[in-house]
Amino acid sequence: MISLHGTVEVGSFSREFSIDVGNEIVGMFGANGSGKTSVLRTIAGLCPLGNGELKLGDDLVDAPAKNMFVLPEMRNIGMVFQDHSLFPFMTAVDNAAFPLLMRGVKRAPAVKMAAEMLEQFGVAHVAQHMAPTLSGGQSQRVAIVRALIGSPSAVLLDEPLSAIDEASREGVRNHIREHLVRLGVSAIVVSHDRTELDHLCTRIENYTR
Amino acid sequence: MNSVSSRTPRFVRIGALLGVVFLALPVVGLLKRVAWSTLCRQLTDVATRDALRISLYASVCATVLALVLGLPLAWCLARMQFSGRRFVRALVLLPMVLPPVVGGVALLGAYGKSNGLLGGLLNSLFGIQLTYSLWGVIVAEAFVALPFLVLSLEGGLRSIDVKYEESAAVMGATDFTRFMRVTLPLLKPSLIAGLMLAWARALGEFGATITFAGNIQGRTQTAPLAVYTMLESNPEGAYALSFLLVAISVGLLVGLRDRWIGGSSQ
Repeated sequence: MISLHGTVEVGSFSREFSIDVGNEIVGMFGANGSGKTSVLRTIAGLCPLGNGELKLGDDLVDAPAKNMFVLPEMRNIGMVFQDHSLFPFMTAVDNAAFPLLMRGVKRAPAVKMAAEMLEQFGVAHVAQHMAPTLSGGQSQRVAIVRALIGSPSAVLLDEPLSAIDEASREGVRNHIREHLVRLGVSAIVVSHDRTELDHLCTRIENYTR
Repeated sequence: MNSVSSRTPRFVRIGALLGVVFLALPVVGLLKRVAWSTLCRQLTDVATRDALRISLYASVCATVLALVLGLPLAWCLARMQFSGRRFVRALVLLPMVLPPVVGGVALLGAYGKSNGLLGGLLNSLFGIQLTYSLWGVIVAEAFVALPFLVLSLEGGLRSIDVKYEESAAVMGATDFTRFMRVTLPLLKPSLIAGLMLAWARALGEFGATITFAGNIQGRTQTAPLAVYTMLESNPEGAYALSFLLVAISVGLLVGLRDRWIGGSSQ
């Protein structure tokens, strides 16, 4: 459950949002500047709410009026960033295993699990390559694995398929959906590509200004 | 190739050539004075060995001390907004522009045994005396080396894109883990450059050391102090030790070459 009712403020941007996401995949559709990415950053805890309340599951995690703010590292969220943000000093597989290590999994099983998941997403052959040497599509797939691998209780995907070529999108999309259903979590997918959202999401909210 | 900017006027070339000669001549002069046949014997002389040992130990300790104090300072200067930031910045840079002897006098005022601000207290409470001791050498060297480390680390911290630390936080990394596993690897080039510069500065320290810690052979006499002392009594030894210090400096430059010499960066 993700429930956000309040003002999202990032820099000079400010907009009211009222979003409730159950165990479903909700697509957020809107042009650039409509605040989609800002909403995801607010839910992840990277930008505090201006006012209002944000709940993850049953927990209130951000409520300025009640002086409540839970740090991002305590929110158990999986997120694909628009620019992927893979660590440049690590290999693809170490990047993918990072959330597991943060959750106390030992290195060997974490790397093994990451390698398996990279294979599912068709990037096993670049597992040992350093992140900066990956192509846009490869790095995006690693970012997707990284967002899903730690059994998060909410998943936020910012343009998750933008760098993946047309031919392999359907496969990647199916794998994402499979994992989200298996995890049984709330997921928000942000995109400016309506067709993409139609294919991946169970419901679509339009935020075009 | 015929654009105006790619043609170098003759007077500029001559000026540059004179600059090269000006910088190279002392090095050549030094090398010419080194007595190569007795070099090994000179460098293993008791006074020289003592000086090298003290220099090496004190400069490494001073670099570690500068790191312990400098990293938090650099972090705050690069990433925190606080009143007095300009003042702290100026304070950090002060040892860089201060005449080293004056730095030594200032250290006496702070840690001097009898009338220093903290010196009396340190002595009566813990029995620690900084003046005329190895610890004094370390403190004096750290004092002058700190700015180099802070400047390098501050620049490095500023150039790190926060997105990596943000994504690490979302993945569950706490403050400390984030610093160790994300910030530090990203900071590595600036850290290495800063450590090398600080160490070189500490190794070459003269003025603050001789003023604050004295020039006692076997106790506070570092290699630069030994060179100065030997120049009258044993010039051959002085040149031998100087040669070794030049060699170390050149080694450092080679280590730093990617950053400053012939590098495409900066």
